[in-house]
Amino acid sequence: MAQPEPVLAVDALVVRFPTADGVVEAVRGVSWSVGPGQVLGIVGESGAGKSVSALAVMGLLPDPAVVSGSARLRGAELVGMAPRVLNRYRGERLAMIFQDPMSSLNPVRTVGWQLAEAVRVHHEVSRRDARSRAVELLELVGIPNPRQRARGYPHELSGGMRQRVVIAMAMANDPEVIIADEPTTALDVTVQAQILETLHRAREATGAAMVLITHDLGVVAGVADEVIVMYAGRVVERGGVDEVFYRPRMPYTQALLGSLPRVGPDGSGRSVPIPGAPPSLIDLPPGCPFAPRCSFARADCGDEPVLRLVEPPRHQVACHFSEQVASAWGGSGEPAARAVNGEVSGGRS
Amino acid sequence: MTVLAGASGTGVVVGQPVLAVRDLVVHFGARRRSRPPLAGRRSAGIVHAVCGVSFDLGAGETLGLVGESGCGKSTTARAVLQLVPPTSGSVRFEGRELTSLGTGELRRLRADLQMVFQDPYSSLDPRMSVGTSVAEPLRVHRRLGVHGEERVAELLRTVGLDPAHARRYPHEFSGGQRQRIGIARALALEPKVLVLDEPVSALDVSVKAGVVNLLEELQDRLGLAYLFVAHDLSVVGQISDRVAVMYLGKLVETGTAAAVYQHPSHPYTQALLSAVPQPDPALERRRRRIVLTGEVPSPVSPPSGCRFRTRCPKAAPVCAEEEPALVDRGQGHPVACHFAEAVDPGARCGIG
Ligand SMILES: Nc1ncnc2c1ncn2[C@@H]1O[C@H](COP(=O)(O)OP(=O)(O)OP(=O)(O)O)[C@@H](O)[C@H]1O
Ligand SMILES: [Mg+2]
Repeated sequence: MAQPEPVLAVDALVVRFPTADGVVEAVRGVSWSVGPGQVLGIVGESGAGKSVSALAVMGLLPDPAVVSGSARLRGAELVGMAPRVLNRYRGERLAMIFQDPMSSLNPVRTVGWQLAEAVRVHHEVSRRDARSRAVELLELVGIPNPRQRARGYPHELSGGMRQRVVIAMAMANDPEVIIADEPTTALDVTVQAQILETLHRAREATGAAMVLITHDLGVVAGVADEVIVMYAGRVVERGGVDEVFYRPRMPYTQALLGSLPRVGPDGSGRSVPIPGAPPSLIDLPPGCPFAPRCSFARADCGDEPVLRLVEPPRHQVACHFSEQVASAWGGSGEPAARAVNGEVSGGRS
Repeated sequence: MTVLAGASGTGVVVGQPVLAVRDLVVHFGARRRSRPPLAGRRSAGIVHAVCGVSFDLGAGETLGLVGESGCGKSTTARAVLQLVPPTSGSVRFEGRELTSLGTGELRRLRADLQMVFQDPYSSLDPRMSVGTSVAEPLRVHRRLGVHGEERVAELLRTVGLDPAHARRYPHEFSGGQRQRIGIARALALEPKVLVLDEPVSALDVSVKAGVVNLLEELQDRLGLAYLFVAHDLSVVGQISDRVAVMYLGKLVETGTAAAVYQHPSHPYTQALLSAVPQPDPALERRRRRIVLTGEVPSPVSPPSGCRFRTRCPKAAPVCAEEEPALVDRGQGHPVACHFAEAVDPGARCGIG
């Protein structure tokens, strides 16, 4: 089956930060792509390079950062693009949502003014039309009394409501790709559910592709079509969401899944922490960076494994022993039958 | 002796509870504002943070207190330890009333009741070596003695850290390690009860499991009782024997972890549990979330009757008039809802 042309394709992306202690190799050759209307989930531990790789794509890294490789938005190269052009792309074709909504909002302007401004920056519309579009957007993201809220300031809103405003801003110009970095991490579960639903609606309304960065594998399981797992600045596993969750072939992915507590005391076993910590990204020693924490590690893990196809069409893994690793995960690959609350809400949709 | 929490079956603690909390109320005074938040509202008002919370904690047991931010969990935890003065109600530790104790007596009792905080970054003094930090409670309670150094080493070993690290400073440790240091410190005086306020929330997933497992091991070994406050339902479900669900200052459902997670009967508990994403794509595709509308109302002017009614899919006129008591309504555990119904996992149900 031919994959549709990707909207955003990242290839061999490298990001280095020169620091007093040496060069931090935050992203070491990362490739991924996302198709129209698709959702790509990026997971991994703190410091894996998830945010830095997204910021590199958006051209939002601080000055000392050195970026190489490629990131193409419908063929247009973003790496090295003139700031003026890239600025226009951001907002118009690419939108970004951060964990802290206040980092995207101006505290001294009304919500409506900011939304209208976002619309006007990229479209020739009257002030009045921009204002009514702003109210429309607020309504679309589920803000009650949108007309009244538009006249309010960000600080008058709860965290969840602010994040909705940011989503409305992201939608303002029908972007082709929305990159969301931990958009629900600071929020309570019920608010998280509201925001995930709002993001879903935003995607339906704009047809945008989404790159969803999160440490929460549960969120990714429910939203993503494809998943990449990052470790120490690299992609160590990539595949369809079912392949990665039910047939993980990389010890790190398995360890990450094994470390999660599951809702419901159903005796499905304890969660197992991953021993040790990720390596420093300065002067990374040769070899597989996960080896010191890996229960499958052997003497011949010497060379850093490259991402290779293990199961067509697209399941890729960076591990020398992915075959043994796969069988260790338990054969069937069927979703574990667990009596969890997922069924609480009953009736099948 | 058997003590019942509430009037019913599953809140049972066998033997005398180490901690018995009854009708705990915490109100915070009015914060004056130059401009009232809403025109027409009279006084800035009282924050009704905790409004009549009762529970028991048995020896060696874990009670998980869950709820969303602002629902009063942390205030409850602090009021139990008298770190916040309760407005009314009773907190008994091994039968002794804490609310009427003088500061001196309270300080002595604090050795038995310790707290572990959420933020492993700010709860340790950055200028104090880890050894000094862990030894501090011993020094304050004049229990350092000649074997102090040995005791600190033992405590660090207990939480899985290398005693040689005693001379290092907090910034040299990871988040998980710092949380372990915080736990070692809380264990220094051999407490009977640990109150843990979001102890693993700030930690990476891979590290969280290590701290949770450590807490379980310590409980088995030392017979500690935990009041475990968290918003993360997965972690609470894993560690708790019993669970209490809190909404806007009140408990809405209590019971064994199995009862609450497998037969959630309050619409709020059902919504909460249905919102937790599971790392299981097929399950996630299949399940329907109960997405609550609106937001938690202000604790300054909580709704009349049932506090959840403004967001409840089952709300009826009676809910505004009559406050539902936390009692067993045939679910086998206490639920504060006029329309409580147990839902069998997998069974159909008619919410909404
Ligand atoms: N400005 C900078 N200078 C030096 N190093 C940096 C800078 N920004 C990020 N890094 C480093 O780059 C690496 C990747 O960081 P990144 O923020 O992408 O991690 P992440 O996967 O998003 O983690 P988290 O889950 O904590 O958000 C880290 O080692 C980080 O310390
Ligand atoms: Mg990040």
